[in-house]
Amino acid sequence: MADNSDITSGIYKDTLLAGLWRENPVFRLLLGMCPTLAVTAAVKPAFTMGCCVIFVLVCSNIVVSLMRNLLKPHLRILMFTLTIATFVTIADLFLKAFQPAMSEALGPYVPLIIVNCIIICRAEACASKNGLVISIIDAVGMGIGFTMALCILASVREILATGAIFEIQILASQREGGWFVPWVAMSMPVGAFITLGLLLGLINFVTKKR
Amino acid sequence: MASFFFGLLIAAANAAWQERILQNEEDKFNNLARQMLPDANSFETAVENIEVDTGKGKKKLTSVKKALATDGTCIGWAFKCEGSGFADKIKLILVVDAGFQQLKGFGVLASYETPGIGDQIKLPYYRNQFIGAPAEKLILSKIGDPEKIDSEIVAISKATISSQAVVDIVNNFLPQIKDYIVTKGLIGNGG
Repeated sequence: MADNSDITSGIYKDTLLAGLWRENPVFRLLLGMCPTLAVTAAVKPAFTMGCCVIFVLVCSNIVVSLMRNLLKPHLRILMFTLTIATFVTIADLFLKAFQPAMSEALGPYVPLIIVNCIIICRAEACASKNGLVISIIDAVGMGIGFTMALCILASVREILATGAIFEIQILASQREGGWFVPWVAMSMPVGAFITLGLLLGLINFVTKKR
Repeated sequence: MASFFFGLLIAAANAAWQERILQNEEDKFNNLARQMLPDANSFETAVENIEVDTGKGKKKLTSVKKALATDGTCIGWAFKCEGSGFADKIKLILVVDAGFQQLKGFGVLASYETPGIGDQIKLPYYRNQFIGAPAEKLILSKIGDPEKIDSEIVAISKATISSQAVVDIVNNFLPQIKDYIVTKGLIGNGG
């Protein structure tokens, strides 16, 4: 009995941690590149996007897991899309109602979560084959892993572009008597590609060393 | 069955938050317009759904709001307008005086222009040139004195397309809205 519960808790822990490092959706699986490149000019929108993805991922995994035995194989992608679209619409409406400035800053990228590969991938690879608990844990792990990756990328870009993190100024620019020279390119798409490339290279280097 | 359930879920969320979403949009409009008309006590919808020709055969509906002072007199007009920018659509609020003779300025509702370059249309250097400018056809010039208030708007360096886009939006919407308001007898003919 004790062995069984140890194995179960080991599986849960493994599933949760997979999304954070070993199967991190951004740094290891290279999924969800569209929001990764588009909304990481600053930490606030990146964090908000991460929270929206966690919400959609958890809700869609719950629904897909619950209806997995009712799904006909040829209809499953349609059902996944329908499920994901519902929760994305709810997340979009919530942002418009309670975080209107952030909703505008994120623009079309919240509705575009519908076509985010991470969510459909987890529905197909995990929720449609596993029970409720493991599906929720997988969604939480992947969601946190995605949010973490977005925030790391956004921190690098925001600090180099504006000298701030979370809109809190930490490096004084030359205009304010400091030494920092804002690197505007970092807040543009080119900055996203360069930072992501460097971070991916760094992570590959660290992984190979281990 | 699933579609019905999901539809219900969205309908419930929409019903719960729609009022708040509309209120947010209204507040944003009023706050932006109030920056240009600080004496305005309230904004009241004067005309709804005016059809504006945005060029290339496309039409856009917009509403005009009347800015009222505390004593109820009209001190200006405000309306949403939009057009193509460098990256995407630029959405503005344009505010004019009560007689549609002078611009009170514009506010940016939405713009995805290049950070640090095109998005300088939001900065005072560019925006202040519109405050007090005549409500007639504006011209964009690459050189000139940005502090001189007239129908000549000096472009932002390296952001000529975004600068031109704002001038085009104003030139497109302003005369059409003015004609409509004058035709409806809401103000004099401005002569």
